Amino acid sequence: MKKLLAIALAALMALLPVMSLAEGELTMGSWRTDDMEQVTALLAKYEELTGVKIVFQPTTSTQYNATLRQQLDGGIGPDLFYSRTYTTGAELYENGFNVVCNDIPGVKENFTETALDGFTAADGNIFAIPFAAVSHFVYYNKQIFADNGIEVPATFEEFLAVCEKLKAAGITPLSNGIAANWDILECVLCGMVPNYITAEERVAYEKGEKKLNDEVWVRILTDFSKLVPYLPEAFASIDNDQANVMFGLGQSAMLIDGSWSYGALNGDDYDIEVGFFPIPAPEGNAAGFSLHPDFGIAGNAASAHPEEVKAFLAWLASVDGAKVTAEVIPEGFLPLINADVAPEGSIIAEMNALGEGKNADRRFVWNMMALYTPIVEQLNAICRGEQTPEGAADVINATWEAELAK
Amino acid sequence: MAAKSRTAQAFQGGKSIRPGGFYWMRYVIPALIFYVVFMAYPMLDSVRLSLYEGTAGVRQYVGLANYVRLFTDEVVSKRFWNAFFNNWIFFAYHMILQNALGITFAAILTNRTMRGRQFYQTLIFIPCTVAVLVTGYLFKIMMNPQWTKAPLEAAGLGFLVHIPSGWLGDPGTALSAVSLVSVWQWVGIPTMMFVAAFQGIDDDLIEAASIEGANAWQQFTRIRIPLIVPVIGMVAIMTFVSNFNAFDVVFAMETLDGAPDYSTDLIGTLFYRYGVAGQHPVGIPEPGVGSAISTSIFAMLLCGVVPTLIKTQGKE
Repeated sequence: MKKLLAIALAALMALLPVMSLAEGELTMGSWRTDDMEQVTALLAKYEELTGVKIVFQPTTSTQYNATLRQQLDGGIGPDLFYSRTYTTGAELYENGFNVVCNDIPGVKENFTETALDGFTAADGNIFAIPFAAVSHFVYYNKQIFADNGIEVPATFEEFLAVCEKLKAAGITPLSNGIAANWDILECVLCGMVPNYITAEERVAYEKGEKKLNDEVWVRILTDFSKLVPYLPEAFASIDNDQANVMFGLGQSAMLIDGSWSYGALNGDDYDIEVGFFPIPAPEGNAAGFSLHPDFGIAGNAASAHPEEVKAFLAWLASVDGAKVTAEVIPEGFLPLINADVAPEGSIIAEMNALGEGKNADRRFVWNMMALYTPIVEQLNAICRGEQTPEGAADVINATWEAELAK
Repeated sequence: MAAKSRTAQAFQGGKSIRPGGFYWMRYVIPALIFYVVFMAYPMLDSVRLSLYEGTAGVRQYVGLANYVRLFTDEVVSKRFWNAFFNNWIFFAYHMILQNALGITFAAILTNRTMRGRQFYQTLIFIPCTVAVLVTGYLFKIMMNPQWTKAPLEAAGLGFLVHIPSGWLGDPGTALSAVSLVSVWQWVGIPTMMFVAAFQGIDDDLIEAASIEGANAWQQFTRIRIPLIVPVIGMVAIMTFVSNFNAFDVVFAMETLDGAPDYSTDLIGTLFYRYGVAGQHPVGIPEPGVGSAISTSIFAMLLCGVVPTLIKTQGKE
């Protein structure tokens, strides 16, 4: 009874916009209401090229999964929809809602395995076209660097020296805190990891072939712990928003955060000149680059316009389509296609250039989600001085071994 | 004929004070339907949900597996008892501090020599009218040394700053800080109820007591307090229930995880994490476990509410 009522209501709400659609128009669902302008521009360009009209219908981010699920369950889902990566995205595919993208022209040719990894289900099928990735950077205040005669550091050791120099000058080196319980892992630690292990080694850790308390991991966590003295005094009370505000107001020289923050930090709210560089690799290690697939576009398997859906997905997977996408994509989101599509001189091109020739990998924890919360807990404990890097590595390893044994 | 019309009159509840029959049924039905559809049914359905696994569409009956997991799984049970224990502390702050303050404020406000009662009453009540998300966020900023250490120290109020982590960043003080903000915000509600209760006391009683020589303290403890015991009981139950349903103040001041280190995790945030939102970043909720949490808490609350009701109500 309740379910029936819920479906009827969801159907009604979803039907309202659909009823206003003309014959032959497609719809696209999304959680990125912020991107209305950009995606509308993208879809307008597509209509210009092909004559197929697609209407963008985003819902609130927090309700996207539930709304989309109800629409799909009720058979009234959008023809195309934004897809999350890994487990969350794969869940919809496993319930049969996604068009399988293996045979879409361009998918196998134009994307690297790393890019496709986030959109590949357990059975090996690709459930969405990779669309945008994010990276993690050290943002720095150019003015403070210039005033203190500091150059962008090339190694992790130089980075620590920069922090020490700033601290000695009475400036808070980093504004990161631990109160939000996610950025310390997703931006800081995941930003560091590709400097220590390659994508292949990551897989070995996922499979349990390598131990998460080996030398490499103790080293990663030890290097992480070396950053703690350079966090703000009140780091335990500072969340991601406040860290951004601190950096934006010039109260700290640097901030380790996601590429998506660039637009806001460089925007009208703040009066600082922002530069960025990837967290540098320690001396002797090959520099890596964190490039994390953030979202893709999937086709609805039950769409009334299967040909148009496939044609649009193929266009997204083509270099020409990706070029148009790169022009309208919001600042800080990087195209996932394996071709040089970023407009020259753009921020996207600048961010991409930083990763050139490096071992690019995604956030290592994304295939080991059971470790997400335990690692955050251990990082917090290291920051508070309640845990050693060795102790943390042992706990993390034991958690993963227990998970693999299940 | 006359008898028949009298019966009809009685059936309609005419002149009779206690008419027989079920004529009252039709007055109850609308509220009953409303109650059943919107309260009783969803509540019972949530109990049923706790016996299932999976989300809408693919739901599977698993018996008591969710309860077994809730009470035996190392991580889940640890979080559950942690949240349960935290909730008692959170409740204790409100029960002891908020309600004692409420009675004190009400006693002062209803004192016959009190001037400007309306003004103070409004002042005490104002925080209740502000959104928790707003007050929570303001206090979060105010309690962060990063923003307030310098100005407070300059004003000679350095003792208000908790260095270095901030009140909300220290697992040892975070729950107290959150509780006190909540007490500050909601103290107006019990105050208003106690004011109304005190005002309901017949002046003659107080007058008689003072003629008999009872001093103000004796009047307060021997006459005014015993006379408002039913209200105190009601307030206690409301505090109990609303505190065990608390969610927003933690959400606004700490994270959904009950940071730092789960020290502010309450049943409400725990339920939300498991049953509604799913753990970040996967975000696939487990409504079954969520329902098991809420059903268990419902049973436990019942054990607290029923004896309190019996003990305090019906004493006129």
